[in-house]
Amino acid sequence: MPTLDDEQFKAYLKQFRPLVPDPLPAAGSRHRVRRTFVLGAWAATAAAILVLVALTLHHLTNRAPVAETVGNVGNPEHLQASQPLTMRSANALMARALSFKAMVDDMAFRSQTAPLPKDKRSAIAVLGKEKIKL
Amino acid sequence: MYRTDGNTADIEFLYRQHGPALLLFAQTVTGERGRAQDAVHQVFLKVIEKGNLNQVGDKKAYLFACVRNAALNEGKLRNRNAPLDPNAAWFGPPDRDYAGEQNLRRALQSLPDDQRQVMVLHVWGDMTFSQISNLLNLSSNTVASRYRYALAKLRDSMFAKENSCANS
Repeated sequence: MPTLDDEQFKAYLKQFRPLVPDPLPAAGSRHRVRRTFVLGAWAATAAAILVLVALTLHHLTNRAPVAETVGNVGNPEHLQASQPLTMRSANALMARALSFKAMVDDMAFRSQTAPLPKDKRSAIAVLGKEKIKL
Repeated sequence: MYRTDGNTADIEFLYRQHGPALLLFAQTVTGERGRAQDAVHQVFLKVIEKGNLNQVGDKKAYLFACVRNAALNEGKLRNRNAPLDPNAAWFGPPDRDYAGEQNLRRALQSLPDDQRQVMVLHVWGDMTFSQISNLLNLSSNTVASRYRYALAKLRDSMFAKENSCANS
């Protein structure tokens, strides 16, 4: 290595750059807070969009059967045995039945075939077992 | 709570600009990188908290003085003089000259403390002899002479080692 004068040697030494210190804790935490806030805002927006989509879908799926049911009122062919007995279905059965007795029989057999939840009993079955004094 | 105005941005700029030289200088005082970094951080956090740097004329000299005081106080609190860590790097070497970095670091470590501090302040801190004399409470002539001695010793130490390696 050639001999360097003072200025050349100083320039050579300055080529070695001191290592950069770690970021300041305050600055780092401020950046972290800002990053966390941005991420939180994005997450909240995404969650709000998901909730809106879910509510819209829920609303649409609930409206569809109602419209279908309303459209089928008076059409006893659409009444299925698995459906619970309601005033509307009873009216439909009455309109279709040839006689009152046939309608009651149809209603009774229909209610027997319909599966009931475990915690409920068929009113017709209970009445059938009871001895009613007239 | 720290201020988050433009003053803080100025201080962060100063940290990026002078942080490496301040850390190197603190290392020459404390002898260890972790403690040196603590001293530098302590100074900047205090400056941010007080927000009084705008009243200071020579900000760089002020920061070096604060770091020196913080490093010396920290050393007093620990009540021990830690030897310089021979393995921790001090510099980012040019062209991946890691051997050169190690050579320079060992040459710096072989200097007396007062000469090493003057050397670091003048070469890597870009401070004038006048600024260094104010910082260390010395005359400018003393600072200049310490620098010349340090430079000569450093050159001998580095190139004598390189020449001996080349000859062997």
